[in-house]
Amino acid sequence: MQPTKDSLYIALRDRLVAVDPNRTVTLDGVTRPAIAVLENEPPSGAPLLCDTFYLHWGNARSASLQAGTLMAMDCTIAYCTKGSVPNASLDRGRDLASLDCDLLAICSPPQTPKYDYSSSPPLALASTIFWTQPVLTAAKSVSPYVGRDVTITVFFYPEVNQT
Amino acid sequence: MSGLQETSPGRGCAARRLANALLQSYGATQVTIRVADPSTGDTGSQLGIEPPPSEDLQIAPCVATSLPPSEDGSPRFEFMLSATALAPIAKDHGVTDVATWLLTAEGVLHHDQLMHIDHVIVDRFSGSDCFYRIQATE
Repeated sequence: MQPTKDSLYIALRDRLVAVDPNRTVTLDGVTRPAIAVLENEPPSGAPLLCDTFYLHWGNARSASLQAGTLMAMDCTIAYCTKGSVPNASLDRGRDLASLDCDLLAICSPPQTPKYDYSSSPPLALASTIFWTQPVLTAAKSVSPYVGRDVTITVFFYPEVNQT
Repeated sequence: MSGLQETSPGRGCAARRLANALLQSYGATQVTIRVADPSTGDTGSQLGIEPPPSEDLQIAPCVATSLPPSEDGSPRFEFMLSATALAPIAKDHGVTDVATWLLTAEGVLHHDQLMHIDHVIVDRFSGSDCFYRIQATE
């Protein structure tokens, strides 16, 4: 299961660098692509950062009886923005649209090879993960922020000895 | 005129020194704050495979006050630090927003227990940060 989580994150991160190289964030003093897996970040009382995609993993289950060992796992990608100070935050809707656009771009094509990143160099697992089209929920507005959650379902075959 | 008085550098400096002297008068207590070193930004740390290196910062003076326990009964403390004591450390780490930096620290080491930082409250006098009050839970 962990290679599936890691492979999705790496795929989305690398695609974000290609799609919008200027969308970066400074986390732990390091500037990196503005995407993070919440469970991989140090626990902190600090609020989540704006203009950053945060991946949250949800339910994992068998995909269906007919699909053999195929499994499905939900992933929620949350993000928000408060616009820019020079524009008095009036552009937060446009910024949200820009985030939406980037997210839709990095989710396509909806597949990527699966790697085991716990070994160095990463070990190809000779299989592919794939996911559903992103479902964008209604934008939530909590002044001065506006944001939304996007859900995808990731399908994968579990490895025999994977953790 | 009153605005000039509030932002006067001299007044702010005096307020900070007074705040530091006040904490010193409570004794030479120190607190240890564990902060994450800037990670290398590589794939391993982003995937949570390698823990980010951390650094223990000892800060004095400090006044530790017991707070009512949290809803689940966990002990809570407030650690009051002076801006004067934090300023050189923040400068060494290239920090401009001290409150946010403290809030993103890994925690406060108290009696060999790493306490989670819940809130950081800044007390300002004469336009200057004078006290940082860290509220933490075991």
